Formats: sequence, structure tokens, C-alpha cells
Amino acid sequence: MAGALTLPVPTTGARRRPVPGNRHWLLLRAGGVLFVLWAAATITFFALRLVPGDPAEAILGGPGSQAGPEALAQVRREYGLDQPLVVQYLTYLGRLVTGDLGQSYSLHKPVLTAIGEQFGATLTLALVSLALAWALACALAAWSVRGGRVAWAIGSGLELVAAAVPHFWLATVLILFFSLTLGILPPVSVPGPLGIVLPALTMAIPLAGFLGQVMRESLLTAMESPFVTTARARGESEVRIFWRHTLRHAAIPAVGLSGWAFGSLISGAVVVESVFARQGLGRSLLSAVQLRDVTLVTGIVLVVALAYAVMTLVTDLADRLIDPRTRAVAE
Amino acid sequence: MPSRRFSRPRAAVVVTAAVALLLAACSPGGGATTTEPSGEPVTGGTLTYASGDAEPSCLDPHVGGNYPQALIATQYLESLVSLDEDGEVVPWLATEWDASDDGLEWEFTLRDDVTFTDGTPFDAEAVAANIAHVQDPATASSTGYLALAKIKDVVAVDDHLVRFEMSAPDSALLESLSQVWVAMESPKALERSQEENCAAPVGTGPFVVDTWERQDSVTLVRNDDYNSPPADVAEATEGSDLPYLDSIVWRFIPDSASRYAALQSGEVQVIDNAQPDTIKSAESDDAIEELDAPRPGAANRIELNSGKAPFDDERVREAFIRSVNVDDGIQSLFFGTAERSYSPLSSVEPLGLSLPDLFTVDTDAASALLDEAGWDERDADGYRAKDGERLTLDFPVSTNQSIPAEQSLFEQIQADAKTAGFEVKLQPLDLSSWYGVLAENEYDLVSAPYTKVGPDVLRILYHSDSITPAPSGYFANLAQVDDADLDELLTQASAASDAGERASLYEEAQRIILEGYYILPLYDQQNHFLRSSSVQGLRAMPTVSTPTFAGAWLVP
Amino acid sequence: MRFRPTVAETIAGVLLLLLVVAALWPSLLAPGDPLAVSHADAFQPPSLAHLFGTDESGRDIYTRVVHGASESLLIGVLATAIGIGLAVVLGFVAGLGPRWLDFGTTRVVEVLFAFPGLLLALLFIVVTGPGVLSSTIAVGLATAPGYARIIRSQVRRTASAEFIEAARVLGRGRLWITARHILPNVTAALFVLATLGLGQAIIWVSSLSYLGLGAVPPAAEWGAMLAAGRTYIANFWWMTFFPGLAIVASAAAATVIGRGIQKRNRSAA
Repeated sequence: MAGALTLPVPTTGARRRPVPGNRHWLLLRAGGVLFVLWAAATITFFALRLVPGDPAEAILGGPGSQAGPEALAQVRREYGLDQPLVVQYLTYLGRLVTGDLGQSYSLHKPVLTAIGEQFGATLTLALVSLALAWALACALAAWSVRGGRVAWAIGSGLELVAAAVPHFWLATVLILFFSLTLGILPPVSVPGPLGIVLPALTMAIPLAGFLGQVMRESLLTAMESPFVTTARARGESEVRIFWRHTLRHAAIPAVGLSGWAFGSLISGAVVVESVFARQGLGRSLLSAVQLRDVTLVTGIVLVVALAYAVMTLVTDLADRLIDPRTRAVAE
Repeated sequence: MPSRRFSRPRAAVVVTAAVALLLAACSPGGGATTTEPSGEPVTGGTLTYASGDAEPSCLDPHVGGNYPQALIATQYLESLVSLDEDGEVVPWLATEWDASDDGLEWEFTLRDDVTFTDGTPFDAEAVAANIAHVQDPATASSTGYLALAKIKDVVAVDDHLVRFEMSAPDSALLESLSQVWVAMESPKALERSQEENCAAPVGTGPFVVDTWERQDSVTLVRNDDYNSPPADVAEATEGSDLPYLDSIVWRFIPDSASRYAALQSGEVQVIDNAQPDTIKSAESDDAIEELDAPRPGAANRIELNSGKAPFDDERVREAFIRSVNVDDGIQSLFFGTAERSYSPLSSVEPLGLSLPDLFTVDTDAASALLDEAGWDERDADGYRAKDGERLTLDFPVSTNQSIPAEQSLFEQIQADAKTAGFEVKLQPLDLSSWYGVLAENEYDLVSAPYTKVGPDVLRILYHSDSITPAPSGYFANLAQVDDADLDELLTQASAASDAGERASLYEEAQRIILEGYYILPLYDQQNHFLRSSSVQGLRAMPTVSTPTFAGAWLVP
Repeated sequence: MRFRPTVAETIAGVLLLLLVVAALWPSLLAPGDPLAVSHADAFQPPSLAHLFGTDESGRDIYTRVVHGASESLLIGVLATAIGIGLAVVLGFVAGLGPRWLDFGTTRVVEVLFAFPGLLLALLFIVVTGPGVLSSTIAVGLATAPGYARIIRSQVRRTASAEFIEAARVLGRGRLWITARHILPNVTAALFVLATLGLGQAIIWVSSLSYLGLGAVPPAAEWGAMLAAGRTYIANFWWMTFFPGLAIVASAAAATVIGRGIQKRNRSAA
């Protein structure tokens, strides 16, 4: 077992202990999700309301606009900012229970509508980036495993560098190269599939580096494991062995990381959406935090938390499908 | 200066001979706000504009009222009056006006052939509804609200004659009315909910708001019935069917490098907030032209908080100003795209007073002043101290408002000040935190832009009334100048009906501000646009320097 | 045990040594003043006088990179330490405690996880004000949940392994088992995580600088230099290239060394 211990494997520990009844487990899990949503909303609400900075100022237009006392008082009244904080919180929570995320004061529209307009763009970007990152990581792994020592060294070198470049820098380098030097891709987001290439690539490259590093660790152990030797003895081709056995084994920890990766993509989206002027929740989030738009920030946090919960479920499922050990148990 | 810079004519009432020489040396021949059009106008086409400013939360500039709103609203809203290239007030939606002798009543005659794009006629009732909308606290107007503060009542005398009744004479009224923050909107549209009106305000301008994809773009389409350009434009373009463009896609690209790349690759045709190094490199690029339109109102300046120690001592203020070398920094960081200012007012303000002698660097004098003021100890790190307390200056910087070059300039000032013994603590802050720090009076140095047409901006920025009254949140007098003589001058100037008297009052006021070392002027509020050379006829409004596409066309 | 470093490990070792020297005695490698402004020298490309060129204020980038090592490395190490330290506590409580404690802690981790890391960092900085320390703590906080999950599952895995069962049957106490078996086994994984995390933390802080909320000027911190130079990337590439190189090089060196140690541990076991 010692070898496997070195893998950072964030798989669910739950199924390794005596498993509670399925229904019980599901209830617990649903309760957990609700708790997470409540706690996330509460933390965000108080964190944002306790920081310095008057939301009423921000509501009245920000830079270059000067608000008079009457206007400020009016705004505070209108948005309930003159109420005690606890009252504001309870009011907010009460609305939340009925599915009302409230009104965004920085956008002058309901939070749900505001999020609805932006959610699709971010989800698309995150999913495309995730897929692209996987493709890049697998391709590099496949090439460097079969290409001998030099390829291995180059492969791991590339991964190191890829994992260590910040999004905002990479984005600009990609723009300079693909848009200005080659002139084949638009430097800012445009409608259609062409517009998503550079933003997705920007997010995928560092992630691929990270996934690749995690996979590489397990590739090593997998290649020396008995089932690969058996497969070889059976006369399976090296290519087939790699794709069917080694990679599958090596991918387990990385798949487990995909839930985490999804979360990190949302963080990346904050920067990438700004650089490429793309619609999306990341950009909304940044401006909402800067304007202390409590309802909008909380709304976005709730949506992201929910998306994350769904994503974790999906990765757990993927994990079961890929890992032959768990599948054997399931069967 | 390269002749490709198209700055507003500096019809400045130049006060000292030195300034006259300096200005003459820097801006030969003035220039025009319009980019010299080449060839015949072409009708049709879609132009894409990329703005680096924050996306407005509301497209109606009555609500709030900041510069990003002014930029876009200039394309679909129009005001009662405008300014021409020489800074003279010219007719726009109002054809003539007249003030009573005591300055308490103003009458405006309105055009009778203009309709809003929703079909509502433009008339006296519409003007009354607009003033009421700006003054209604529910609108939450700030800039427009302050501009119209002295209008007590609006009376529709007949369909096309409207009378403003003032609570006090206001010499700045016409300048205030020329601003897009108080532009005219359809009264019928104003009756909608704020959410609806913010999404698609209705005006009389050359374009109409069509759709708004949040965080992406606003699409503006041609107003086919457009007939109301300001008088100076109408004269210059007589016989043309304005506007030439079919539509404008107004994009928001906050990242300066991406914005410039989008222009270079042809994805967009005009960008604002161009960074100094890109303006410089665009000079050698035939496909890209520059439009420089310094904003009116106050120059960009660092305010010295005279409301608390150590800057409550004028000697310390002077010592600080004498010890920092700003000129070289501006030269190297802005690549010659920004001129040093020595005035509280923008160089486009005819009444600006420049006193360069006050700002020459003299570290010996600074040192002597600090010794005299009691800051004669030096601590272990080489900073000056008094009674064991270090000479520390807090400098909150709004990263939303100061461009990178300006932030670098502040760093250089920090280094200079360190040599003199000041410890400047630069604090990069997001907008809300920045407001918070100002409200708490936790700053010694600060730089904040203020755009307003006319010298009345001085009253807003330096009258002691503008020093924070506790609950009001923002206050504009960030230098916390509290000088009874100055207050008196500014009050008189704002009521003065005689142009000569007004000019001399404002000159005296500026002298007090400059000689009191309350501010360190840097340069005009930078407002550089880059356009593809396929865009012709682009012009900056002589009012608040926003670009207007009414007479612009695309060369195919 | 024979110790024979590979070529990569040798290079990484030398690099780390240089970094440590730069962090502790920067003036040995770069005697100049990293804050010396010189208007006339602004935006100079790399040359003999300025190996890495100069920045917008004419400051020597080589000097700044060397002098920035201490702050940048401190950020990396401290943020990773905070993240992993927090994660170890959470992970062990979750991994070894009774079911209800595990459930509770896991939810706490999930709540933290549900926040996009950058938001957690942004909120923290907005509350505490900008600065290197708050950015560092913010990044530590933001990365903790990721580590915590990994550690928890490691702990669980180890705890259910046969040799632990054996120890339990032998009547060894909980603490003894934890200290003797579980901790060493988990440490190996932690080490790799930490080496990966080091570079990541510097990058995170630089992203905060890009958003205008990172290190306070005029600190010669790599991330801040990278963020400041990006504005000029089209015209003056060296302003971002060299600070970026320093980040990548230190992250890579740490990872290579970390892997080397891990590999030896494995073969020793």
C-alpha cells in the first residue's frame, strides 16, 4: 500500500467504511449541501457588511460622481441599509428561503436575472477549459511516457512551467501570439466558437500542468504494477496498454481533483473574463465585491457552491466508473 | 508636441507671462477637437467602440452620474445647450435664453421640431419633467443633482418656453446644463420603472439604445429621424443626413492590453483610456490615429489633507511639494502624452491660473522648512521625526481610478519624498475601501478626479462647505481647505453675472489654493482615444470631452 | 544509503541555494538599491549595465528580482504553511475523529471549498486591508480546503490499512498510532503538495496584485513586478519575463527536490 500513499487522492473516503443505507446517506448528503449553502451565504453576508466602505456610495455611481446627503439617506432607506445588521440579515435569509435572491443594487435588477444572464458563459468556459486541460494533460502524458527519458524530462518540465504561469500573464502572451503575430484568433471574446478558444486555453494550460503533475506520479507506479505486466504478457500492444490500463489507473487521483479544478476555474474566470472581456460570473463577482453588492456576491457564491456540489457528485461517479476496484465491488 | 495631438484650443486667459510662453511652446496652433476628416462621408456600417471604463450600472446618466455613463449617453441623449470649440455656449435643444437682472429667473426658448425617439414631443413639460427627475431623491442622482442644486422651480410658460426659478444666482448654470448628466430624456420613458429606464433611456440623440448584453456590449442603432445636432455642428454639416453610421456596438474591455490588441487586430475601431506607451507606439502605426481630449473641470492633482497633522502646517505642505520631482516622472512614464499642470483647473478651462514657480523642486528649502516646523530629528530608517514620531503620510490609491502610469508616478513621488525624510505609505485600494478610508479621514495625500464644465468646480472642491459633514459620506474638499476668504470669493464668483468680475474672482481663488500649497497639480485628466484610420469625423464634445459619433463615418 | 543526485536535482539544488542566498543576503548577489528611481533609465532593455533591463521607473530589474526573493519566498512558504497547517488540523480531525466530528469538519471544509478561492482571498483582503501579509494569509486560507480534503482521504486510507489494524489489535493507543504510522505516511504526500503549492501561492498573490490588491508598492515582490509589468508587455517584454522566470524557476526547483526526496523515501520504505 505504501506506494499508493504518495498519491494525493481526494476520493471519497465514505465508501471505504461501513456504508450507511443509501437513503440515509442521501439524506445526510442533502443536509450537508443545505448546510453548506446556508453557511456560505451567512459568511459572505457578514464579511461584506462588516468591511469598511459604504455601499450607498457605490450605489450612487462610483468614480467621479459625488453624492449629496439626501441622496445617500434615500438610498440607505430604499435598500434597508439603515436597519440593524441582524434585521437586514434575517430579512435576507427569509427571502432566500422563498427562493428570492434579492435585488442587486449595483445592477439595478434582480440577482437571479443578473446571474442567469452570466451563468451560461462561465459554465461553458469552465467545462471547455476542463475538457481542454484533460486533453492536454493526457496527450502530454501519453507522449512523454512512450518517448523515452528525454520526452519524459521535457514533458515534466513543460508541466512545471505550465502550472506556474499566472492567468493574467498567459492570456496576454496568447493574445500577442495568436491574435497579433499570427492573426488567426480574436483577442477579445466574440460570439461563436472562435471566441472561446483563447480564454479556454488560458485557463486550461495551468490546469493541465497541475493535472499532469498529479498523473505523472501515479503513471510511474501504474507502469510497474502487475496488471500492466500481465497485459504485456497477454501480448496487448503498448498503445493499448497505455490507454486502457496505465492511463486509467493514473487518472484516478486526477479525476478526483476535477471537483477541485472546477472550483479553481471559477477563480481563474475572475481574471480571464476580465482580460478577454467575456461575459461571466467571474467578472460579476469581482465588480460586485468591489462595489460591496452584498446580495449579488452572496447570490453568486450560492450558485457556485451548488455547481460545486453537483460537480463533486459527478466526479465521484466518474471515479467509480474508472477505478476497476470500485467497479468490481459495484458489480 | 507632435502635431497629431488634437487638443482643444487653449483660449486661456493666461495670467503670467511665463505661463503664456510655456503654453505657446507646448501647443503650437492649438488644433481642433475634430480629427481632420479626409474624403467624403460614407453612409452606413457598424462601428465597434471599446471602453476601458467600468460598465455603467445604469445607462441613464441622471442616475448616479459618472464618466462612463457620460461616454455612452453622449450618443443618445442631448442637452439644452452645448459649447463650441472656443468654449462659447451655443444653442442645442434650447434656441435662446435670457436671465433676469437679479439672476433669479432664467427663460429658455425650446426647439419646436424635435421629438424623442419614442415619439414623445420635446417641449417645456419635458424639460420640467427632466429637472424634476434629476432632483427627485428616488433617482439617486449625484452629479446632475449638484449641478442643478440652485434650481428651485421649473415653470412651463407655454409649449416651448420654460422658466427656471433660482434659489440664488448661478453663473455656472449654462455650463452645468451643457453636461450630459442633465441631458433631456423622454418624460414618457422616465415614468417607467428605474430598472427599465436604466436599460434603455430614450432621448433625442443621433442613436437609440437597442439592446444591452450585460458585461459584453450595448448596441446602439441609428435614429432615422435625427434632426437636432448642436448649433455649431449643424452649421458645419449642413445638408448632411446625420448620423452616417447604421449602428454602434459599444463594448466594455477593461484590460488595457486586450483593448489595444483588439484595436490593432481590427476587432474594434475606437478605444478609450489608451495607455501612454500604446499611444506612443501608435504614432508609428499608420493604421491608428489618436484623439486627445483633456477633460474639463479640475486637473489631476494630489490633494494635501490640511485638516490634520502633519499637513495642517503650511510649512510641511510646502516642504513636501518642494521635495518631489514630478516633471521627469511624467515625461518618462507618459512618453510625452501628458503635460505637467500647475493649475487647479484643466488646461481646457479658459479661467485656469497657472503658477509654475510655486512648484520648482528645492530640496534645501524643503529641508529648512521641515527643520523650522519641528521635524528636525531623523530616525533609524532615515525618516524625519518630531517628538519620536515619524513623519508618515498615508496615501490611499484607488486602483479603479489611477492608471498604471499614474500609480508608478506615485511610487516615484514616494521615493523622492523618502529622500526628504517623508515616509509615504501607498495603499492600493478598491473603490469602496477607498471611499471608506476618505470618510474616516485616514489619509494625508489623495488623488481624485473631478469632471465638471467650468470653473465652478472650484466651489465644489475647495469651499469649506464641502468638508465632510458627518453623515454625508463623500465630500469633495479632500484637501480640507478651510479659508473664509476663499469661501467668500467662490460664493461671489458663482453669483457674478459680469464675465470680467467672475474671471478675476476665480483667479484670486486659485491663487489662494496654489499659494497655500494645498494641492500638487499633475496633469489634465487624461482622456486619450485611439481610432483606426478608417474612422473619420470623430469629434470630442467641447463640453465634457466625451467622443460623439454623430458625424463619424467608416471608410470602407 | 548512497546519494546520487540526478542532473535535474543538481540544477534544482544549486538554484535553491542561490535563492536562499538571495533571500538572506541579497546584497551579495546584487549590491544595488532595488528602489533607486532613475527617470533617464526607464524602460531600458537588458544590457550589460542592466542584466534584466529596467522598469518604468528606471529601477534595475535584476536587483529587484534578487531583493524580491525574500518577500516572494516568504509569501510562498508562509501561505503554503498556513494552508497546509490548517489542512492538517482539519484533515486529521476529520480523518481520525468520530463520525460526527468527521461530518462536521467535512462540512466546514466544504463550505470553504464552496467559495471560489479567489473570492475567499478577496473578501479577506477587503476586510483586513491590502498588503503582503494579508495577501499571504488570504492565499493560505484559500488553498487550505484543497489540502484538507486530500489529507483527510490520505488519513482515512492509512487508518484503514492492514498494518494499522494490526497495531490496533496489539493494543496501541490512538495517539501512538497517529504519531508512529499515520503521520509519516501522510507527510510524504504533504511534501509533494507543499512543493507544488509554493509556486502556486506566489502566483495567487500575483493575481491579487493584478487585481490591484496585492503587495504594497514599492516592494520588489515578484508577483507585484509581474502584475505591474504586464501593462507594458507588448512593448517591454523583459518587465514580466524575468520576474516570471524567477517564479517558475523557484517553483520548479522546489518540485524537483520534493520529488527527489519522495522517491528516495519510497525506495527506502
